[in-house]
Amino acid sequence: MVRYSSRKLLLNRRWILVVLVAALVGAVMLYTANEGEGTLDQGSTLLNTLVLSFMLPILSLIYGASMIRNEIDDRSITQVVTSPLDRRASYLGYYLSLGMVLAIMLFLIGLVGWACFFLPAGVNSEALEMLLSYSFLLVLGSFVYSSLFLAMGVVLKQPIYLGLLYAFVWEGFVGQLPGAIGKMTIIYYLKVIGAELIPYGNITDFSNGVGVAAVVLLGLTAVLLFAGAWAFREKELP
Amino acid sequence: MTMAIVSAKGVSKWYGNVIGLNNFNMEVRSGITGIVGPNGAGKSTFFKLLVGTIRANMGEMLVMGKSPWKNPSQLRGIGFCPDYEYLPADLTGVEFLNLAGGLHGLSGQRLASRTAEVLRMVEMTDARDRRMGGYSKGMKQRMKIAGAILHDPKLLLLDEPLSGTDPVVRKELIDMIKALNKDHGHDIIVSSHVLFEVERMTHEVALLYKGRAVATGDISEIRGLMSNHPHHIVIEGQGLVGLAKSLLDRPFTVSVHLWPDRSGLTAEVSRPDELFDSMPSLISETGCQVDSMRSLDDDLESLFKYLAGW
Repeated sequence: MVRYSSRKLLLNRRWILVVLVAALVGAVMLYTANEGEGTLDQGSTLLNTLVLSFMLPILSLIYGASMIRNEIDDRSITQVVTSPLDRRASYLGYYLSLGMVLAIMLFLIGLVGWACFFLPAGVNSEALEMLLSYSFLLVLGSFVYSSLFLAMGVVLKQPIYLGLLYAFVWEGFVGQLPGAIGKMTIIYYLKVIGAELIPYGNITDFSNGVGVAAVVLLGLTAVLLFAGAWAFREKELP
Repeated sequence: MTMAIVSAKGVSKWYGNVIGLNNFNMEVRSGITGIVGPNGAGKSTFFKLLVGTIRANMGEMLVMGKSPWKNPSQLRGIGFCPDYEYLPADLTGVEFLNLAGGLHGLSGQRLASRTAEVLRMVEMTDARDRRMGGYSKGMKQRMKIAGAILHDPKLLLLDEPLSGTDPVVRKELIDMIKALNKDHGHDIIVSSHVLFEVERMTHEVALLYKGRAVATGDISEIRGLMSNHPHHIVIEGQGLVGLAKSLLDRPFTVSVHLWPDRSGLTAEVSRPDELFDSMPSLISETGCQVDSMRSLDDDLESLFKYLAGW
């Protein structure tokens, strides 16, 4: 199941979009490194703003919300739902392949940005540690957002609209507001964990509490996975 | 009498205000069974209930003794070829079968040998490495059937497998479906909206109309029902008053309506074949001139309405 859906994701022509996005991130970071000081703080802020806070939720939405929904709409889901697999297991297969493909894509985008920023001036161990830390956050974020947007694609007929609203307004705008409201977003908890790992740039603005953040993200992912798998099992596919 | 492989008792399925199946009752036994009905009769709804992608609102549907809804293990014994297009255009035939086989738990040498065997059965070995987006309609139907039989199911469900194919391909597919039953032992339920196509595959037929099985059984019994189906025949010409009187004396005539301008008449007959056979003698006896004759309801739709009692 994982192989089946991973292959479908990788064959998708949206790869072109990902390459363009990676090129854009690389160009912005290269330009900033050439025009600015090329410090660790600056590099971290750019990776946080461009990749972690923006690309992660948007790519997760584009791939996650459409994964099962597109198969329902073009009826290629027939192949999966008429095979002798429990639909909950099939859903888990979709989730794992989505999370893995997203994690690889976002890692590559982050790597391109990081390389464009740090390679020209020479790489040190702090820069390498930063790459590893952001990569970890992107992998973690991929699996959390996947659980949300995949479930949305099962439950909603037009998940992209609510997904865009959520990604831009809730995660993008509300997540930046001071006070307790910001804690209602996934990106907040990712940044709390990031602040523990990365001592550079604007990600350090987030207060400590890495244990709570990990539990919240893990719990949320589990709940969303369970709800999505249940909805998929109960869903009629006329 | 063999055990029913499919049993539907009082099954109803509706989508909002639209009825798919309405108090539907049917039993299907081993062999090939044809499901015939016009568009919207409920054929596809019946198949979707059999594979458990939808659930009945009322009644009981059993496939090989078990309910298919939320029962994925049941699908080991069922192969489904839907009436719609779902083959990934950018995969080759053999890649598609490898993916389908993986979903059914086949792998390695077993999958490779079964894939080769199935491609031979559907006569698609030469096209195995071509992308399916470039396949003709007939090739796509063959590949859909290949995907359905790959895991060697007991029951094969073929929803409109002949639709959109030319007469040559249709004949080849009919021969292939018969061979799947005769040579490979698959029980098959096959649907079509054309009775004579189904008749070439099997004598066991069910007629569906507006969500109900209006007639089931051997094709000869259904042919009997069809021949008793009252037909409205329109005859146009000159000097038809005498013909109208003579028709009323015939046992197969139910009623005759002579048009006010006497240029034609509409006869309701119980056995149209007898009317057609007796027309030469009727014309010669009455001296009328017949310019044209046509049946107002010589189509499947009117037959279904008759069988449904509407």
